[in-house]
Amino acid sequence: MRRLRGWLLRLGGLFRRARQERDLAAEMESHLQMHVEDNLRAGLSAEEAHRQALIKLGGIEQTKENYRDRRGLPFLETLFQDLRFAGRLLLKNAGFTAVAVLTVALGVGANAGIFSVVHAVLLKPLPYPESDRLVMVWEKVSLPNYENDQNEPSPGNFADWRSQNSVFDNLGAYRNRSFNLTGAGGPVRVEGEQVSASLFSVLKVNAALGRVFTAGDDQPSGRHVVVMSDGLWKSRFGSNAQILGKTILLDGESYIVVGIMPPNFHFPDPDDQLWVPIALTPQDLANHGSHYLLVTARLKPNVTLAQAQGELNRIAQHLTELYPDTNTGVQANIVALREEIAGPVRPALVALFGAVGFILLIVCANVASLLLGRASARHREIGIRIALGAGRIRILRQLLTESALLALLGCVFGLLFARWGILGLKLLSPPHIPRMDEIQIDTSVLVFSLAISLLSAFIFGVLPALQATRANVNDSLKEGARESAGGARLRTRNLLVILETALGVVVVIGAGLLLRSFLILERAPLGFQPQRVLTFRVIPRGERYLQLAGRTAFYRQAIERIEALPGVKSAAAVSFIPLTFARSSKGFSIEGHVPPAAGEIPVAAYDAVTPGYFQSLQIPLQSGRDFSWRDTPQAQRVVIINKAMAQTYWPGEDPLGKRIKFGTPDDPFPRWTIAGVVGDIREFDVLTPPRPTVYLPVSQADDSNYVLRDWVVRASVDPLTIASSIRSAMREVDPDLPVSRLRSLEQVRNISVAPQRFNLSLFGLFAALALLLAAVGIYGVTAYSVAQRTREIGIRVAMGAQRGDVVRLVLAQGARHAALGIFLGLAGAFALTRLMERLLYGVRPTDPVTFAGVTLILTGVALLACYLPARRAMRVDPIIALRYE
Amino acid sequence: MGEKADVWQGTLALMVLKTLQALGSLHGYGIARRIEQTSGDLLAVNYGTLYPALLKLEQEGYISSEWGTSNNNRKAKYYRLTRAGRKQLEKEAREWEQITEILARFMAPGKESA
Repeated sequence: MRRLRGWLLRLGGLFRRARQERDLAAEMESHLQMHVEDNLRAGLSAEEAHRQALIKLGGIEQTKENYRDRRGLPFLETLFQDLRFAGRLLLKNAGFTAVAVLTVALGVGANAGIFSVVHAVLLKPLPYPESDRLVMVWEKVSLPNYENDQNEPSPGNFADWRSQNSVFDNLGAYRNRSFNLTGAGGPVRVEGEQVSASLFSVLKVNAALGRVFTAGDDQPSGRHVVVMSDGLWKSRFGSNAQILGKTILLDGESYIVVGIMPPNFHFPDPDDQLWVPIALTPQDLANHGSHYLLVTARLKPNVTLAQAQGELNRIAQHLTELYPDTNTGVQANIVALREEIAGPVRPALVALFGAVGFILLIVCANVASLLLGRASARHREIGIRIALGAGRIRILRQLLTESALLALLGCVFGLLFARWGILGLKLLSPPHIPRMDEIQIDTSVLVFSLAISLLSAFIFGVLPALQATRANVNDSLKEGARESAGGARLRTRNLLVILETALGVVVVIGAGLLLRSFLILERAPLGFQPQRVLTFRVIPRGERYLQLAGRTAFYRQAIERIEALPGVKSAAAVSFIPLTFARSSKGFSIEGHVPPAAGEIPVAAYDAVTPGYFQSLQIPLQSGRDFSWRDTPQAQRVVIINKAMAQTYWPGEDPLGKRIKFGTPDDPFPRWTIAGVVGDIREFDVLTPPRPTVYLPVSQADDSNYVLRDWVVRASVDPLTIASSIRSAMREVDPDLPVSRLRSLEQVRNISVAPQRFNLSLFGLFAALALLLAAVGIYGVTAYSVAQRTREIGIRVAMGAQRGDVVRLVLAQGARHAALGIFLGLAGAFALTRLMERLLYGVRPTDPVTFAGVTLILTGVALLACYLPARRAMRVDPIIALRYE
Repeated sequence: MGEKADVWQGTLALMVLKTLQALGSLHGYGIARRIEQTSGDLLAVNYGTLYPALLKLEQEGYISSEWGTSNNNRKAKYYRLTRAGRKQLEKEAREWEQITEILARFMAPGKESA
């Protein structure tokens, strides 16, 4: 306590300096006078009395100095003194300061920006209470013809897991569903979820206003109720609390609004605005064969993921014995919710974080090189300080304080860059990065930036400072003496250049590999022509469309209406357009084939389409015929299969006329005759190879699961120009159906490669930055070396060296360093790029083309950076050079 | 410097506190003279070292100071013990006695060993 009080007073002592100084002087004065008087009384002469008193005191100034040390905090006083000095120095060398601060700012900015993403996406807990215990529960399916670690659970499995486990507080199921919200304000499509009542208690989130669902709501017989997001409540209902208890129209049906969620709540997707009870029927809950749920659960306290996994494995085993037809090869797979969200982006973020880390190192090398260059200009100043008795540590400290000030200035501007970067990122809004709304410059990002700035200050400051204080006092003080440490400094700077070239090579190779992958991706055959195709979403829901006939009539009428528009070649509808992750699959059996063993039933993806779909997307019809409106429920049931399906199940045979049935041969389902074979398309994304797919004609697909959502229109003009006429055409057919997701199929395609494009853009940006910094570094050092060697070059020219010789001399030296740097960089890249393997497609991490290309680029940049100073060397006038100092 | 100075600082503080207890309020010069006299001029140190020690004691709240006038009508800064200072003095005096006692036992020719 006493000691703390002392420290606080000393801290205070830093500020009331003037008064305390007067006080101290007066006290010394009075002490001396008293002593002198005593001495006089003892009979000394006036002069001697004064002298003795001074000796006894031990000198006024020394006493004062000891007193001051005790009074304030010498550490802080020195720091302030150094900071003031450093500030003046930086102001005086504005050019140097600007370059150094900008360099640091680029490095810190890139790091702060990426860290803010890493922090929000990978490090921060999810925005739900005790979110570390939230998990996703998947089916893990391993069958001879189907493997999936994250298969969507069937309602039967969900129900049995829920009733038989002892490891979860609760499990909640949900399923994405969009709604046509009609009423005042016109029809809009709103994304939402059907959820079990237990979901909100799993998340431990309650409504901000009203309530969430009760078990009573979540019954097939329950009333239609809905919980709304804060965003929708604000935008559509003006934050009016009176909405509670009122009804809104969703897909033409009335729902009572029972709750409004808190402002920042979203689950599972940020654009979800509505939640309704999923109300699974007893039949649903006994169904182990249809897989369409998503399941989130909360682990009990003190239950580990592994324990929970163990118990679910036992339950799954038991279910397999109970339901061999549906549950053979079906296990459970528990994944932490945070991992579920962060896992897919982690490799990219880690790679980017590595790239910016390298950039920071290059920045450090550059600033260190700059400081070394400046140290030669300051060697006399430092020599004088040492001669005047400044200790080496004291000078080191002062130089490091200067570096720290530089770094902190860089940090401030870097944070500004990071802020702009984050704004740009949000504008770009890459679809694959989760938790975008949580990305911001918060305390953690500030602390991180400050820490890396100070660390950089140490890295780039310590070497020049050590070298500066090693200078020989005698040499530096001699008037006109050439600087002795110059050679050592140049050697250090050369090392730095080699290092930053190497670091640059690694980053540029990373970008090069991503570029190669992306080019391969761009060239991957899609199986359809996305050019000049417009797509949009209109889902016929409501009373009119409950029956197949009503839906079919709607599709046919809408397509006829659209095809009559100018600029339209053909139009069609499909359950889901390609390149969107939204396709289900079904087990089927082939007529005449041996019935498959349990769990070995063949599986195919399925899509329902209208006639003209293949023509609109220009998917080639390889044999047979397209669907037509004559394929009515009364006519023969027909399907079209893709090439992958034909080759898998009818190798070397003609599949036309063969018949299949969904489910096992014993199921009471109708048979479908294969009427055509079409080419394969990329259905999920550009990377996933085609899998066996069955297309059903919508006019015969009477299960309401086959409702068509997406529409495609092939245009003879730029597809976006016909967007508005299509909107009005659809409004004429049914004014209550909102048109959403209106965009060209090329935009869809771009979105599907957006993650790769995003990684490439950022990596490319960082590679450009690394190249620029390396070039600046090489240029700086070569220019410095040329300046140092001016006299030598002058002598060479005087002795008859040609301009070409001089340029070669300078270039050869630069090239040696660059070659060494590139070699080291290639070795480093060879070791490091394998960490990027998951981001690459079609190229190996050690792709020789990329490595060779980057070597060429770096060599070119290095030679160019050397050539500019070399040209200056070439123009050296021997007369001036020999006088040069 | 180093440890020797610390030891000196510690004992000097104790001497200052004791002096102020004995004489009440006193200025720096007086304290220095008193310590020198009491020690029988055995401790011949710079008076200057006293001032940082006084400042430290004041910062720690054991003594307080104010400007006053000396017998010879001179302005001088007078120091006096605070309550905390009195307690601290008692405590340090006790400790000091303990230490000297222990050391005395070591230094005196032990009866047992004789």
